Amino acid sequence: MMIYKRKLSWKDLAIGVVFWGCLLAGSVLAQDSYELRRSQQERFRSVAAKLRPSLVRIETVGGVQPLGTGTTDTLPISPEEGRGDSPRRTQTPFRDAVGSRFKIADGPTTGVVYSEDGYILTSSFNFVVEPSIITATLFDGRRFVAELVARDQVRKLALLKIDANDLSVPRWQERSELRVGQWAIALGLGFGGEDASVTVGVLSAYNRMMGNAIQTDAKLNPANYGGPLCDIDGRVLGICVPMAQRPGELSGVEFYDSGVGFAVPKDRVDLIASQLREGKSFYRGWLGVVLDPSVRDAAVILNIADPSPVLDAGIVPGDRIVKAAGKEIRHFGHLVKTLYMIPAGDPVRLELERDGAMFGAEIKLARNIELGPLPNLAEPFDPTEPLPDVEDGETEGPPEDDG
Amino acid sequence: MIWWRGTIFLALVSWLAWGGGALGQGGFERAISSALPRSVKLYGLKVGQQVGYGTGTIVSADGHVITVYTLLLESNKLRVVTADGTRYHGKLVTFDREKQLALIRMTTVMEGDSAVGALPFFDIGCAEGAPPYGASCEPELLPGDWVVAAGNPFKIAEGAEPASVAHGVYSARTRLDARRKVKEFSYHGDVLVIDAVTSNPGAPGSPLVNLDGELVGVIGRLVVSNLTHTKFNYAIPRDVLRSFLLKALKLGDAGAIVEGEARSKLGSDFSAVDAGIRIARTGYMRLPPFVERVRRGSPAAKAGVRRDDLILSVNGHSVPDLVSYDKRMGRIGSDEPVDLVIQRKKRVITVRILPGDEAKKP
Repeated sequence: MMIYKRKLSWKDLAIGVVFWGCLLAGSVLAQDSYELRRSQQERFRSVAAKLRPSLVRIETVGGVQPLGTGTTDTLPISPEEGRGDSPRRTQTPFRDAVGSRFKIADGPTTGVVYSEDGYILTSSFNFVVEPSIITATLFDGRRFVAELVARDQVRKLALLKIDANDLSVPRWQERSELRVGQWAIALGLGFGGEDASVTVGVLSAYNRMMGNAIQTDAKLNPANYGGPLCDIDGRVLGICVPMAQRPGELSGVEFYDSGVGFAVPKDRVDLIASQLREGKSFYRGWLGVVLDPSVRDAAVILNIADPSPVLDAGIVPGDRIVKAAGKEIRHFGHLVKTLYMIPAGDPVRLELERDGAMFGAEIKLARNIELGPLPNLAEPFDPTEPLPDVEDGETEGPPEDDG
Repeated sequence: MIWWRGTIFLALVSWLAWGGGALGQGGFERAISSALPRSVKLYGLKVGQQVGYGTGTIVSADGHVITVYTLLLESNKLRVVTADGTRYHGKLVTFDREKQLALIRMTTVMEGDSAVGALPFFDIGCAEGAPPYGASCEPELLPGDWVVAAGNPFKIAEGAEPASVAHGVYSARTRLDARRKVKEFSYHGDVLVIDAVTSNPGAPGSPLVNLDGELVGVIGRLVVSNLTHTKFNYAIPRDVLRSFLLKALKLGDAGAIVEGEARSKLGSDFSAVDAGIRIARTGYMRLPPFVERVRRGSPAAKAGVRRDDLILSVNGHSVPDLVSYDKRMGRIGSDEPVDLVIQRKKRVITVRILPGDEAKKP
């Protein structure tokens, strides 16, 4: 036969190696895809088991009447803001979510142990209704009345405190270690029962919402808001919260179960929690300006609340906002998207233009209760022109009306 | 030489295809090869908003199929199409109004009127035959386990085309009413929440299997959550299916199982528990249930319930307001114990009120 007459060359050797390699790989792969799935599900189970001692079931009693039960519900955003003397201190946050009224959650929700001495992190979303009583149940069945220490309306986090000193703190993973595509497992206790619910996805992005959030396609909804997003080793990647690129306490509900979910990662949680622990709440930041709706392609200030941080900085109506926090501003929507994640008290650098000259100003955003009324305008508007809520300076609502 | 090289090449390609193919299947091959042949397409009458198609799960070799009850099943032209494309006449055997489950029977093959042959099925009754893949009667299922559904949402698959496969993980076992503010729904038993997207028209009744191809449930009726406005992806668990099937087979063609209805009306001999607690009422029904008075010598008094206690939950159900408190207490019979979780100042305590624990008045 021909082939025996020929000396085996390196080519034949290479072909042989490839052949047997493929043979081996083929058989290994055929067996292993099933085994891989099995080991994945073992890992998912063990993540849930590992984190369970650090999960806290949070239940609330009382609070403002659930929405949808009446027609004139207007709810204060926070207790203090509700006590304001002006009617604009109240609003209907429940209506902005999906354009229709719906009842707010009143089932159990989830929290994560933050420190051994009784601090528990959860989502502020769980307390939108201002419950009169909050209880926290540990994995061992002990149930405590929890104190709401402080909350962050911007990052949707809240810190609770219970009288316990032996809590199990989970391990966290730094954001710098995250890779898009890695497993992301969301745990929650909102469905009741002793086991944590598990939804599985991957990490979709690690820098969203101006650095405040990581993104996952694991299904997130009120059953796991406040719960942990974990990696395959059971390390916490973030606290699951509802978020969207617009302000409002209920923004983000439009993303329920949609495959777009957010969690606040460790670096942000640490930053926020240290201040929450001291009782400092974070509120939405306001400039106190109304933009001229008749100017379509520039952010020209029409009116300024008095007092307001903008007024203090010597800015006057007619000035044009060119940049905010380094981003170019051409209309109302730009301003919203730039400022919605900056809480009151934080500084923002504005670049403005007046009579062709550029100047800069450092503005410390204010809470809306710190803003004064808007001075009356010299000339009334054309009433047919749709306006943003003028009396409020900036309004809570859909992005197109917001600023 | 050419022969030798050609052989290597062929072997190489075929092994690659085999190995790569298995990897491409993603490890769900057992699940899929079990679910697909046991999933049937249903066609019947379109009634109003209800679609005229659906999916069923074969539970006996002679053609019993469990599905979710819809009006399409009442059609006298019910058609059942198996995975190989064979079309059968179908007949509604019975259904359970509360669980919204129905049992149908494949009667004869449409072409040629021959009898139903031996079909692959899920032996959920564990009465006959060996379960597929040596399955136990109740497969183990924990949150985080992979699940696969095979059904015909939007009637995408036609004739002999296999059903559509969806995958995800099992999230939690819960009561549907524990999912806050879901629309009123008569089934109040446990469901399996899954994170696969299965809640689509035509999918209810699809088999849901684990990684080993064991049936863990069937996809339930479409429910949209009032809170989230998203469709709720869930399955009716296997144990519920089994008790329905065993009851249905015993009843035969006796008609609907109305146990669910009977229970909700609670018969005439039902009397709700009187624990001896009076709740503070001002006419505003959203107030939390605070105890205004406890009747002396009543079961509640003996259990240690006190004035000004705030009742947090009744038999494990949270009662945030008077409406839910009244609803929960009204469902408890006079001979049943009541477990209350109570807040008294900063403490949370649990009490159990035992029935009939009160001296009868002369």
